[in-house]
Amino acid sequence: MDALLEAALRLATPLLFAALGELLVERSGVVNIGIEGLMLTGAFAAFAVAVTTASPGLGVAAGVSASVALGMVFAWFVVLRSADQIVVGTAVNLLALGATGLALRSLFPGGIPAAPVVGPLEIPGLASLPVVGTALFGATPFVPTSLAATLCVALFLARTRAGLRWRAVGEVARAADAEGVRVAAVRIGAIAVGAAFAGIAGAMLPLAQSNTFSEGMTAGRGFIALAIVIFGRWNAIGCAAAALFFGATTALQFRLQARGLAVPYPLALALPYVLTLAVLAIATGRARAPRDLGRPYRREAH
Amino acid sequence: MKERLRVLASPIAAALASIGIAVGVLLALGHAPLGALEALVRGAGGSPAAWTGTLQKSTPLLLTGLAVALSFRCGVWNIGAEGQLYAGALAATFVATRWLPADGGAWLVAPVLVAGALGGAGFGALAGWLRAARGVSEVISTILLNFVAIQLVAYAIQGPLQEAPRAYPQSDPLPHGAMLPALDRLHLGVPLALIAALVVAFLIDRTAVGFRLRAVGHAPEAARFAGLSPERLGTLALALAGGLAGLAGAVELAGMTGRLYEGLSPGPGYTAIAVALLARLAPLAVIPSALFFGALANGALAMQREAAIPSVATQVVQGIVILLSVGFALGRLSLARERVPSEGEA
Amino acid sequence: MAPGEIHALLGENGAGKSTLMNVLIGLVRPDTGSLCVAGAEVVPGPWSPRAALRSGVAMVHQHSTLVPAMSVPENLCFGAATAPVWFRPARERERVERLAGSFGLDVPVDARVEDLSVGQRQRAEILRALDRGARVLVLDEPTAALTAAETRALFPALARLRDRGVALLFISHKLDEIREIADRVTVLRRGRVEATVSARETSATELGRLMLGHEIPPLARAARVAIEGRPPALALRDLEAPGSREAGRLRGLRLEIFAGEIVGVAGIDGNGQRELEEVLAGVREPVAGEIEVDGRRVRPGVRSLRAAGVAHVSGERERGGLVPGMSVAENLAVKSSYDGGRLFARGLYRRPAARENAIEAIRRFGIDPPDPDRDVATLSGGNAQKVAVARELASGARVLVAVNPTRGLDVGSARFVHEQILALRDAGGAVLLVSTELDEVLALADRVVAMVRGRFFDVARDTDTARLGAILLGETSVGDAA
Repeated sequence: MDALLEAALRLATPLLFAALGELLVERSGVVNIGIEGLMLTGAFAAFAVAVTTASPGLGVAAGVSASVALGMVFAWFVVLRSADQIVVGTAVNLLALGATGLALRSLFPGGIPAAPVVGPLEIPGLASLPVVGTALFGATPFVPTSLAATLCVALFLARTRAGLRWRAVGEVARAADAEGVRVAAVRIGAIAVGAAFAGIAGAMLPLAQSNTFSEGMTAGRGFIALAIVIFGRWNAIGCAAAALFFGATTALQFRLQARGLAVPYPLALALPYVLTLAVLAIATGRARAPRDLGRPYRREAH
Repeated sequence: MKERLRVLASPIAAALASIGIAVGVLLALGHAPLGALEALVRGAGGSPAAWTGTLQKSTPLLLTGLAVALSFRCGVWNIGAEGQLYAGALAATFVATRWLPADGGAWLVAPVLVAGALGGAGFGALAGWLRAARGVSEVISTILLNFVAIQLVAYAIQGPLQEAPRAYPQSDPLPHGAMLPALDRLHLGVPLALIAALVVAFLIDRTAVGFRLRAVGHAPEAARFAGLSPERLGTLALALAGGLAGLAGAVELAGMTGRLYEGLSPGPGYTAIAVALLARLAPLAVIPSALFFGALANGALAMQREAAIPSVATQVVQGIVILLSVGFALGRLSLARERVPSEGEA
Repeated sequence: MAPGEIHALLGENGAGKSTLMNVLIGLVRPDTGSLCVAGAEVVPGPWSPRAALRSGVAMVHQHSTLVPAMSVPENLCFGAATAPVWFRPARERERVERLAGSFGLDVPVDARVEDLSVGQRQRAEILRALDRGARVLVLDEPTAALTAAETRALFPALARLRDRGVALLFISHKLDEIREIADRVTVLRRGRVEATVSARETSATELGRLMLGHEIPPLARAARVAIEGRPPALALRDLEAPGSREAGRLRGLRLEIFAGEIVGVAGIDGNGQRELEEVLAGVREPVAGEIEVDGRRVRPGVRSLRAAGVAHVSGERERGGLVPGMSVAENLAVKSSYDGGRLFARGLYRRPAARENAIEAIRRFGIDPPDPDRDVATLSGGNAQKVAVARELASGARVLVAVNPTRGLDVGSARFVHEQILALRDAGGAVLLVSTELDEVLALADRVVAMVRGRFFDVARDTDTARLGAILLGETSVGDAA
């Protein structure tokens, strides 16, 4: 049971980080389907820097920086050029796929090395807490960090002035502008913060899950994060619950797989996507998206 | 006239600029770009064989590019050309290796192509149903269905459709009669794709259905008040697009590979989006656009062979082409889109 | 404008009121000229919504610009430069309540803005402006959506603000209100200041003349030619349909319109007009009741209503089925794309025929510019409406549903639309005219019903405007359900 909970949390964590990032972006009125590409970029940069410096910490920092840098490309087109968000997000995904593949083969022509791993937080006592101790604090620090981040995002959106502005921009950008909120600045900021979260989510994959990098290793997690935001009804706690649901399902499926359940492997791999589709089919329509989601804002008199 | 020149010039500028940026990236990664470029150009069109390869590579891109152009014109964000291509290839393989006689004549081609188109159309329609009946954004559903399709193919070629010897994860070869006739390695799929472009252009501009699809694409709510159903027409657009992409899968199968295996797709489904956007969503312009990306893909293979530059570099070019196509006034596309306000939102 | 003054701004639609307001609040930068607030010249200079707020100019919009998904305290905080970094709901609630109390404005502090009434929202907006330290308050038709009781409550509140030194710019086209509350009036016409006069000492006719500039000849009206003994051209039988808001739910509408008459539906926005329009346009499914045309039941739906000969013209392009991005020719053809006609044959769109058809319509209706290939999105409101009218009337419809058909149009275009409506009536057609412009209803309709909270109320022939206003506001219990 303990092991299952731990696996669920570990599998849920990158989804949660990515979903929190997407949540922040979407609450400011922008859909970033390039989050998959941002994660992938974060994963690669984290991997490359961690391998060359042998420091996983630097790796995480590099992952975040690279993701934010690519996020700014997205922001420039989407916010400052008012280009379509879906199309630009698609381009970001393509760029990330191509650039990471290209860089992987250019920088590591001799084969892909193993990455150093981010060790567990060594805070005495925490890991021995009953029930949740090992699951939360036993393995990777990403897990407790993601839960803390969830609370921070929830608090930020509900209890800070900046969070109120952020939401106002996502709900009715025109009204926010009329109130003197700089819509473009808020959205660019939101994209940057969202990209940073995506970068953490990406960095976690080579540094805390598979210990290496492979092409396209995010494998659609960014897109599942998009679905989690909808399923989580655009709030942080909801996203955490939804991410945990996905993590638990995947963990359970691995468990059953290990017990020799006769589900062919490729079908098992398809399960998260099918599950996401099913969840969307049930959850969409009941949740209310930010009103100005996906709409570029241009100031003008009608 | 000046306007026409501008319309023509901006995609060319976008294509050239993106190659320029990619060269910069190569430089930054420590490659020698000039030799690479030369290899690319030679590999893409330096010899008759190179030309044949370029045309072969362009064909699926033309069909999937048409799929994307058609759906985007109808206001549907189909990011799922890749999945629809696989679904088509899967259906075509099933029909060819399980239903059709192994010793049939050349007529076997027809059911294989039809099966491909129907398979892709069904897959597209699934996203359409999720959108119309359950309100699921087609952006997310088509992306997720790409992953589902890839795993379905993987499952099929390790399971029910695996070759009789069960040695490799691939299907049995298609019956000889089901293969597209070819002239000097240029298979019938090439002219077929060109005809498809004409048909799509005609459909969009000249038919009543195309008229309705365009109306919904421009303004779904206005079209609803004019008596058109954005849901139904959106599903139709997705099914038509899926049919084109599925046809691409069948053509690739029956024209090139002869068997189904993983990695049949000419690239991630996004490539088709780059093709369509560079063509500014005009079906006939998809022809040169697909040719450009086909040449790029073909040349990139030579580049990888001769200059040791990974061919994934082409994806960087594709990404930049998309950005330049939608991001600059020079080649700016206005993708009509209007969000359908949900009930009780006021 | 002086501090402690209520200054009214009067002008027709399109006279430049909105542009002037947008300049004042910083959404539009003026090309030339200067603007001074409290003695300091702010334009030329960096002018933006932020700058406008800083210099104490705030606007109370006709349509609420509060964020609907947020509460009033949240709305007050997000834009305030002085708000603390942390938003503490309890403290902010209390602060808002105190502020509201000090100005005598009653505003709920817990509910989301989307759940407030129109009057409450408006008070919340005023409160927000005051919270920002506004010295100049621009009120855009503040009474347009209010009930009489709410209007009566608003005026003393405005007077209190005036007495505390706030300058109020009151934009309205209701002469009696202006004369009641304003000190001075500035009349705008075609982007120019026509005059600035004392509100109480200038007669209503004089203000009207300043506003309109010239006399508009009355429309020639033919006598009513209703034919008795035939089934009504359009009948609504106990029609019920869900509303996007509770007040808009249709509750058993009953109405008969005969060939050769115009029935006007008067009412204030949000009382079911949109829902009625949607049902009669065929995009909203009624849950009970029937629609009959010439005595025959018609299945609800755009296509079946059109097939039965019901045409629909709307004041909003989208609801009128005008597709931006498509040409005039295509827009004229869009509805025949499913019911055939000569513009489509054997599943094909006949572009040359559609262009010819458009050229004919352009000539007949005077659409300008006369270009069949022009994108309707680039046409002026009046010309776009002509395209819609041309399409709807070309089908030979005998029943017209016109909903706010002249909203946002200039005088000439509005007059054109009115003439078309009257011509259809005189030719034996039946017209249901739904309008929130009372003047429009009274000028055109042969018979008037009032629409209040999703119900129809008969309005007797001799009802005076004051009494009709009371009915519309639902203030007095009058009449029976029609």
